[in-house]
Amino acid sequence: MVKEMNKPSLAEDKYAPMLSPWRVKSKIAIIFFIVLFFLFFSSTRTGVDFGTLLSGLSNMGQITDKLLPPNWGIVGPAMERLIETIHMAIIATTFAVLVVIPVSLLAAQNINSNKIVYNITRFIMNILRTIPDIVLAVIFVGLFGIGVFGGIVALFVFSLGILAKLISETIESIDMEPVEAMRASGASTIQAIAFAVVPQVLPQFSSFSLYVFEINVRASVVIGLVGAGGIGNLMMTRFGFNDYNSVFTIIIIIFVVVVLIEYISGKIREAIV
Amino acid sequence: MSMELPPKKPRSTKKLVRNVAIILAVAALYVWTFASIQIDFARVIERAQSNFDRVIPKLFSPNWDRAGEVIDMMIETIFIAYVGSLAAAIIAVPLGFLAAKNMTGSRIFSTLGVWILSAVRAFPEIILAILFIVAVGPTPFAGILAIAIGSTGMLGKLYAESLEAIDMNVVEAMQANGANRIQVMFHGIIPQVIPEFLSYAIYRFEIDVRASTVLGYVGAGGIGTMIFFAQSSRNWSDMGMILLVIIIVVTIFDYASSYIRRRII
Amino acid sequence: MIEFKDVSLVYPNGTQGLKDVNITIEDGEFVVIVGLSGAGKSTLIRSINRLVSPTSGELIVDNDNILKYRGRKLRKLRTKIGMIFQNYNLVRRSSVFKNVLAGRLGHTGTLRSVFNFFSKDDKALAYESLKRVNIEDKLYSRADELSGGQQQRVSIARVLTQKPKYILADEPVASLDPPTSHQVMKYLKKINQEDGITTIVNLHFIDMAMEYADRIIGMRAGEVVFDGPASEVTEKTFEEIYGRSIRDEDFVGGAEEDQDDSVKGAEEDGEGNE
Repeated sequence: MVKEMNKPSLAEDKYAPMLSPWRVKSKIAIIFFIVLFFLFFSSTRTGVDFGTLLSGLSNMGQITDKLLPPNWGIVGPAMERLIETIHMAIIATTFAVLVVIPVSLLAAQNINSNKIVYNITRFIMNILRTIPDIVLAVIFVGLFGIGVFGGIVALFVFSLGILAKLISETIESIDMEPVEAMRASGASTIQAIAFAVVPQVLPQFSSFSLYVFEINVRASVVIGLVGAGGIGNLMMTRFGFNDYNSVFTIIIIIFVVVVLIEYISGKIREAIV
Repeated sequence: MSMELPPKKPRSTKKLVRNVAIILAVAALYVWTFASIQIDFARVIERAQSNFDRVIPKLFSPNWDRAGEVIDMMIETIFIAYVGSLAAAIIAVPLGFLAAKNMTGSRIFSTLGVWILSAVRAFPEIILAILFIVAVGPTPFAGILAIAIGSTGMLGKLYAESLEAIDMNVVEAMQANGANRIQVMFHGIIPQVIPEFLSYAIYRFEIDVRASTVLGYVGAGGIGTMIFFAQSSRNWSDMGMILLVIIIVVTIFDYASSYIRRRII
Repeated sequence: MIEFKDVSLVYPNGTQGLKDVNITIEDGEFVVIVGLSGAGKSTLIRSINRLVSPTSGELIVDNDNILKYRGRKLRKLRTKIGMIFQNYNLVRRSSVFKNVLAGRLGHTGTLRSVFNFFSKDDKALAYESLKRVNIEDKLYSRADELSGGQQQRVSIARVLTQKPKYILADEPVASLDPPTSHQVMKYLKKINQEDGITTIVNLHFIDMAMEYADRIIGMRAGEVVFDGPASEVTEKTFEEIYGRSIRDEDFVGGAEEDQDDSVKGAEEDGEGNE
């Protein structure tokens, strides 16, 4: 009983002062108006207003007519291309994981004392991360021709940016004391990294690598749309022919595989960290 | 020197078997991958040699004549991202409540919520865009729907997580006070999660700006349309201009978003 | 032999770390440096293996001015100076054995060490060092599974494996309880006596300094304000060094008699190090 008595007063103490200060309310009102203002502009520009929304949603009913029934005949070729997609993701992730080791060391402030190299590495990686996967694929397919190679290079560059950020941040958060101890005993920089840094970052490193593999599986589907091989390529072809039944079947297959891979990878990552 | 060597590390057979199994599995995966991937290196090299001069220098000398048009399309892209994220930020609230374990008091509901949200997350935005183009035709509206639905998956999950982390004592106290469900929600729960919800919504908007740049490639509006045309006409200096605008705009949004989010929390 | 000749150190932010330090430390001495926190004890000790670099003067180690050392020469200097830290500075996720072997890094080629190819002699030496601090049974435990006192003993074993000529200990017992502190100091003293390794220890506990030191150097505001044999030191000397009256917190307490009463001390001391 005593417990019950105490609680209400605690809650009142905590929230009583928040009830109606005028400034908070006016702040909320201003934010609300800004949000609406942009919404107004956006809807004029994109031609989407409440009317189109409603009519669009009613159109949504037709979608099933167009997509169904699934074309099960496409499953065979789709599986073949899907495997190609996964292979692209595996290869790109592998190379990104190898290359990210030196890159993330250069992009970690506590390891790389050379400010210029550090900033240049950071800058390049930040720019890489702003480029969408598809744009990278368009460029590398343009360079290397239609096919998996351009796709693999695009995925490699794409995941390198993400991994470099994740891993260099991990390196920056390690305990530097053992590194100091190694240095004090006359170890070289590489030795100090191998003995004091690597053991500390290895679990996160593996986990992030798997995480980037998950991202790459999804991205490798997407970049196929622009001619970089794999199942996305097949989907784009069928989409071009308005063969929506096949498109839908392919989407189902992609969905199942992406969920499956993320589930397995998630389980492994839980076991690692 | 006659010093004793340390005793060997005791190894359990179970661990050994497990490690061997892992190594074999990984090795098999790689053998399978590299054996079946088909790359015609001769062709790749030949292509790279003939294309290099046509592609790379042009990319780095953007076509400034198209700057106005590209920026205009980028604005449309931002609007698509904006409406999409805003819709998602709202739709995700009930789904977040549904998926949070401490809100519905029913495991079935929260499991259902989690399932819906992770199912939605499994679709890349551009695939969703293709689906919505089939439904509503190749317009920015399809792009907005794709962004809205794609973002709902992630936002719902993040919302649910922050709901699960709230201080339930406050809620219990209000219930003990005789407050009804709606009162508890507006006075006990919402004030606790509003800053985080906002922060997540802004973060997702930042991601959506990036994501919506590509939707136009399949016809869902925005700058992606120009990517498609630049690719088909092999106009690499146009592509350079598009790339430049995307990099600058995305960078600005990244910084602005992380600045605002730091202020909120 | 270590000689400080007019050594001063000014940090980039303008703080004076050391001010005209002139001391000579003979081989085999057990020197304790005392002073309040911020007095420059740590700066003094870290100058010797150049973890910090004095800005003027000469610091002579084995007849050579080490202040101009860089790169390979600096690493070579560091291999003969072992260091023990307040927070043990072990790699927490690595095994005790790997931590101790790390003491050999300065003597091992980079490539060999990165691939973990240590010689049989190195491995035997690492094991021997662990035995000397009575913790060989934890050989394959992870460092973070050990108690603070055990971790500090592992770090002593790491230094022993390095086979140094000098040992620097920067507040080695500041994170430990009194019985464990005495145990760690005893190991340091024993190693100093048996191996003749010159040992320089930073402490801020008066009773501990007086119990273990051969010689005490007092510091205040970057300057050496006292230097003499431990036998000449009284509480009054400390009042002069600290520039204030002595308080309870300046004593670690828990000298030998108490050790048996403490459960932790008994558990850690189970191997009988005497």
